[in-house]
Amino acid sequence: MILTLAAKSLRNRRLTATLTVLSIALAVALLLGVERIRNASREAFASTVSGTDLVVGARTSPAHLLLFAVFHIGNPNNNVRWDSFRAVAARPDVAWTIPLSLGDSHRGFRVLGTSGDYFDHLRYARDRALVFAQGTRFDDAHGAVIGADVAQSLHYAPGQQIVLAHGTGEVETSLHKEHPFRVVGILERTGTPVDRTIHVALEGLDLVHADGGGASPDPLAAALAARAARTADPHERTISAFLIGLKARGSALSVQRAVNEYAGEPLTAILPGVTLLEVWEIAGVAERALRAVSILVVAVGLAGMLVALLTSLNERRREMAVLRSVGARPAQIFVLILGEAMLLASAGVVLGLVVLEVALGAGAPSVQAHLGFAIDATWPTREEFSVMLLVIVAAGLASVWPAWRSYQFSLIDGMTLRV
Amino acid sequence: MVRDGASGMRAVAQGTVRPEGAAAETPAARAAPVVDLTGVVFSWPGAARPVVSAASLRLVRGERVFMSGPSGSGKSTLLSVLTGVLAPRAGKVRVLGTDLAALRGAARDRFRADHIGYIFQMFNLIPYLSVLENVCLPCGFSSVRRRRALRATPSVEAEARRLLEHLDMGDAAVLRRPVTELSVGQQQRVAAARALIGAPELVIADEPTSALDADRRTAFLELLFRECAREGATLLFASHDVALAPLFDRKVDIAPVAA
Repeated sequence: MILTLAAKSLRNRRLTATLTVLSIALAVALLLGVERIRNASREAFASTVSGTDLVVGARTSPAHLLLFAVFHIGNPNNNVRWDSFRAVAARPDVAWTIPLSLGDSHRGFRVLGTSGDYFDHLRYARDRALVFAQGTRFDDAHGAVIGADVAQSLHYAPGQQIVLAHGTGEVETSLHKEHPFRVVGILERTGTPVDRTIHVALEGLDLVHADGGGASPDPLAAALAARAARTADPHERTISAFLIGLKARGSALSVQRAVNEYAGEPLTAILPGVTLLEVWEIAGVAERALRAVSILVVAVGLAGMLVALLTSLNERRREMAVLRSVGARPAQIFVLILGEAMLLASAGVVLGLVVLEVALGAGAPSVQAHLGFAIDATWPTREEFSVMLLVIVAAGLASVWPAWRSYQFSLIDGMTLRV
Repeated sequence: MVRDGASGMRAVAQGTVRPEGAAAETPAARAAPVVDLTGVVFSWPGAARPVVSAASLRLVRGERVFMSGPSGSGKSTLLSVLTGVLAPRAGKVRVLGTDLAALRGAARDRFRADHIGYIFQMFNLIPYLSVLENVCLPCGFSSVRRRRALRATPSVEAEARRLLEHLDMGDAAVLRRPVTELSVGQQQRVAAARALIGAPELVIADEPTSALDADRRTAFLELLFRECAREGATLLFASHDVALAPLFDRKVDIAPVAA
């Protein structure tokens, strides 16, 4: 009875009710969306380092090394000499190594020079190996294996010729035209940076840089090309970083120490899981700020509802007196206002969830393309349900104030009409 | 208070009020005053001077009583006391033999819902409800009135339609109109139908005609009288317009509290 009245009263104030519901819905969608993206990104990042025991690069900060070597975020400052890589790889406790050479790009996608070991040993998302959707791995200096996103956004199929550009900017200033590559394989989607990477053999990169930067008029590029030409000998090549798989996980710390104390050149070895946690701690500040902001947005949405309820109360004193005259108890007047708030909040929460799911459904491809991880419209988790419930409860608590006021009004006014 | 075991409903069987559902009424119930106010004093909390002082009023069943008094004489306050919304500082308020002071808040509200129909001066209707929903409202708060409304008609809504028809408001086009678009006279007739639905023993009207012009006023009163008589309701009609007084069985005066 009272809830029917509440619903009809809201229907009567359609415009404010709709706006209130919308603001709560957007706030809830934001709150849940921030959590979704946070969880999806954490999962994506964690799955990317699956199976790798150590990451080694030239002396730098662990976070920097992890970000450029594994996530292709940022650029290496210094390179690792090939003989250092050979020396570490030759250690008896090392099961496998994957060399990584970064620094070139193709139409905005990073080019990664590596070895066949990459396809044998790289793991993602709890020990899953890379799978070829089409073609095979490269077996010479001209082959390229592209990730699923590269293939999709550039519409590449095996056989496609590609030309690398020096640097990783979106604008390609210096092209390595003399040494084109040919797509020989396309990888299945992994939800990791692999999807956005073009893999070529280290030997291929050696040739590219030996050939020089093409007919570039840029003296810097020419100088770099000249330097690169001198390192065409594989034994003089440098790489950006390398991944290590150990025979026994227990030796990780001792190998890490040995690499960090390597006499040939200053190197940094990191345990990717540990460094990822450190990165999260840095990112955690931003995450907490983001969450605090979205909670504030919810609070603003609820405050808007409160304002709408409170401003309506004075003009509704008459209505309350009429309800009292037909037998409504002050407690029922209280429940009427409370019920209106709960209905508004519930509608807002449900709509917010719908908005979120629709937005994620529609935006998933572009999130995948821009952020490199998958985020899907899924059935809400238990935590999300408790968040939604919490919003409704908060709305109920907030509305105790206007409800109490109208309760007081109905006691004071009695049957007198304040016109 | 007793509970009517058969229906599970609360019925007032104290004193001289007839038990709910009993078709036959005892002579004692018939004779009991519907309203019995003695020595009522009311003042707002903190106010030195009472708004109502030593008011006494006695209405018997079926009476149509005109209560007059200038604005500010405490008429509305007295009516609030009479309906149990406000509690007097002193004096006794008995409605249908029940001492309102003896009832707790919720029970008083229930008593009012069950036995009193109320018509305000204006703005009687809930703007977001339809005409029919407005008329049916008391039956949502009082199961007693709901049951009485269903005595003769199959549904509360049918009873509401019947009452509206009696008050010349049966036109389907009028029923469909939002209540805010009704004329003041139409609104007051809807309010009268709401006050009468479920046959409450007492109908209180607080200046219900003050917003109507003279001929509308008389027409409204005639309809109200006719329906009160049909439903066997006692009518207490408060107004400052003494010209209407001759239409009533009797007139009581409320004098303003002397300064």
